Amino acid sequence: MKRRSVIATLGALSIGAKASALEPGEVLKEPYKVAKKAIKADIVVVGGGTAGVVAALQAARAGRQTILVENGSQLGGTTTTGGVAYPGIFFAWGKQVISGIGWEMVQEAVALNDDTLPDFSIPHGKHHPRHQVRLNGQLYALLLEEKCVEAGVQIRFYETPTQVTPQKNGWLVETVGKGIMTQITCNQLIDCTGNAFVTSMAGYDVLREATTQPGSLMFEIGGYDFQSLDLKLIQARYQEAIKKGELDKPDFRNNIVGLLRSKGDNISHVLGADSTTSETHTVANIKGRMALLKTLRFLRTLPGCEKTKIIDVQNETAVRETYRIDGHYKVTHADYVTGKLFDDSVSYSYYPIDVHDENGVVPDHLKEGVVPTVPLRALVPKNSKNFLVAGRCVSSDRLANSALRVQASSMGMGQAAGAAAVLANMQNKTPLDVSMTDLRKLLEEHGAIVPGSQKG
Amino acid sequence: MIRLLIGILFILASAYDSAGQIRYFRTPTLPLKTDTTLAFLAVAEDSIANDTLFQMRSKEGFPVAYFRKIRTSVCFDNKCRLLKVTLFWNPTGRYLGYDLVKGEFLSKAEHKPFTLAEYERMSDVLADQFSPLATLAYAEIAPPKKPISKEEEVDGVSSATAKNVLDYVVEGAAYTTYKMWHVVYGPTQASVVALTEKSLSPEYVLALLESPDGSDKIWALNHSQGFVTSTPALQQKLVTFINGTNYNLTERAINALDTGPNSATWQAMLADNLTTKSYALQKLIVNKLKRVTSLDAQAKKSLAEGLKSPNSELVSTILDVFRQHNVADTETCRPIADLLISQNQFIAQKAFAYLEKLDLSDADIKAKLAQYAQRK
Repeated sequence: MKRRSVIATLGALSIGAKASALEPGEVLKEPYKVAKKAIKADIVVVGGGTAGVVAALQAARAGRQTILVENGSQLGGTTTTGGVAYPGIFFAWGKQVISGIGWEMVQEAVALNDDTLPDFSIPHGKHHPRHQVRLNGQLYALLLEEKCVEAGVQIRFYETPTQVTPQKNGWLVETVGKGIMTQITCNQLIDCTGNAFVTSMAGYDVLREATTQPGSLMFEIGGYDFQSLDLKLIQARYQEAIKKGELDKPDFRNNIVGLLRSKGDNISHVLGADSTTSETHTVANIKGRMALLKTLRFLRTLPGCEKTKIIDVQNETAVRETYRIDGHYKVTHADYVTGKLFDDSVSYSYYPIDVHDENGVVPDHLKEGVVPTVPLRALVPKNSKNFLVAGRCVSSDRLANSALRVQASSMGMGQAAGAAAVLANMQNKTPLDVSMTDLRKLLEEHGAIVPGSQKG
Repeated sequence: MIRLLIGILFILASAYDSAGQIRYFRTPTLPLKTDTTLAFLAVAEDSIANDTLFQMRSKEGFPVAYFRKIRTSVCFDNKCRLLKVTLFWNPTGRYLGYDLVKGEFLSKAEHKPFTLAEYERMSDVLADQFSPLATLAYAEIAPPKKPISKEEEVDGVSSATAKNVLDYVVEGAAYTTYKMWHVVYGPTQASVVALTEKSLSPEYVLALLESPDGSDKIWALNHSQGFVTSTPALQQKLVTFINGTNYNLTERAINALDTGPNSATWQAMLADNLTTKSYALQKLIVNKLKRVTSLDAQAKKSLAEGLKSPNSELVSTILDVFRQHNVADTETCRPIADLLISQNQFIAQKAFAYLEKLDLSDADIKAKLAQYAQRK
């Protein structure tokens, strides 16, 4: 009895102590719990990157209830979070080949930042970056978000799927995020993760190369005058540091002069960079940052570079290649370089074959007049129903993929996948059963350029 | 004398003249003869001795070209040779050409004179404003090895031309190419542009817009607003670019359109033909109409027609234009009310959001609004 009374007193003291610690206006929060929620949509897009935003916008603007699941904190992926703020090439041989929603957003970002478009009427020759549209990546992210909100796309940041289960007429997508587990029931599911992991989760085959292309950590350095540097000496010191094992040759493509000339930008190479899982992407981020830091310290030992400083570094290593789906059609290198037109071509792509390896990259340009296309079948995994992909995980061989992966092409695919999902949802069909006439019509109504059509 | 000489220069595309003088010229911005030549103090550039920039003007007072007599040393490994050349710019800052005083010639290793092809090559290289020479360091022109023979020497100075720069230079004259390119695109180019900007008038901009060169046209379009007073003639000229097929010119022309009182010249013209344009251009034009000070009645009518577009984003942008200009008349609001029964919920919602904020008296519109509210 006595003991019970003591414990009760202690308890009261404890509560009293807590209560007395609160300042006016403060409240105690209940213990953190992971909430559960069940929601519905016509179309779910997983991945708010280059292709995913366009797919989601296309779906929402066509009047479908659309949810966009993004595991990061902003939209735009490679162009924004990855920092590759020059989203590919939209014009080929003097003519626009990729337009629609993607171009609309790029054009608005350029205008709002008083940037200028390259002159597309002047052939780029061996220097395709001359036709790259440079934009302000962070501004672009803001615009994407505004457009999604305006179109009624429900954005779910910080969430990632844990399971996708086929249902009688669609999918159950289970996601986990900060303090929430969500069950989303939808009719059509679009994998725009870039890594095809939703495809894999759904039970469809995905493929990858034994060795994938390196990723890149985008950054900017300054604090030196390139023209006044003793480049021969710097090159010699760089090679010496590599020989001693102080620096790794592939980190900056064995090209210290290139690094200094470009002041950073897209010069880093992170071998084996893989964004498929938190663990692999963590490794890629740490490798990229450590290489940069090590090289910065080295640069500051060089004559003329003593004051070298970091001006900007992206938050994560951008990744070029991971998994590709095993689709109803695999776009081959031969298809790509001959500009093969398919009966079900839904978008164009235009970029040189561009395989990066530990030595750098030597782009292989397309022959004059060639504009490759993407068939709808390459966006649909074999044996799937109510499922599409868009972006770099498009069904393709490695060489074709090295060109298809760039952002402009991914935007074209994103719009096509979004439109196919809309029609499939409205007509209660699976995407491959949608008529090409209807699909072309919907895409063109929303400004896209479709290969093989009268306008395209 | 020099006026006459330059007049002849423009007629020649590229050649030696009859007196044996070497001169190479690209297409000029303006096909006008020089009437007067004015001298200006040029920006002091490292190693360039002459400090005068000459402006050539037509009888209308339009700057037609600029030139600067370059006397500079091409040096490497502590050896130098004198480069004497006159460089010419178009009024837009675009490279025009070069000439050498009588008896002078450009040379390569061992002072071997340029061939005709090499003079042409030099002119081509200098015309490439995007050349990688812009970012290459002077020290990168030669590879890190000693020349194995005298034939490998560059410009009669030193070292072989690095293989990776051969595409951007005259072989055997890499340092001369580098030097000339950097003078063409150096501070003098900015001085040329600044001087031209001081002479801009609507008539002069109209003349520049007639240039056969696309980059000149873009330059003139970028100087059509803010630099000169807007005139109906200029606005009409801009519309001709918008109706053309070159995307860059169209985009820049839309950007240059005046949004003030002179916009009446173009509003209806562009709005009437909206459906003939690509989606990318339709968006630009409709966004431009959002910014005009007063929306033209005919343009408003055409935009209302545009509400029939199946492109929901375009419809939404047209509604933004109407919102910006406080459009609330029954004639325009009726087609907006028709959107309330659209199968596309995105469009229907936008129409509802527009109409619900207006004080409308039309019974038909009110009924449609009520029906929509009930369905929601």
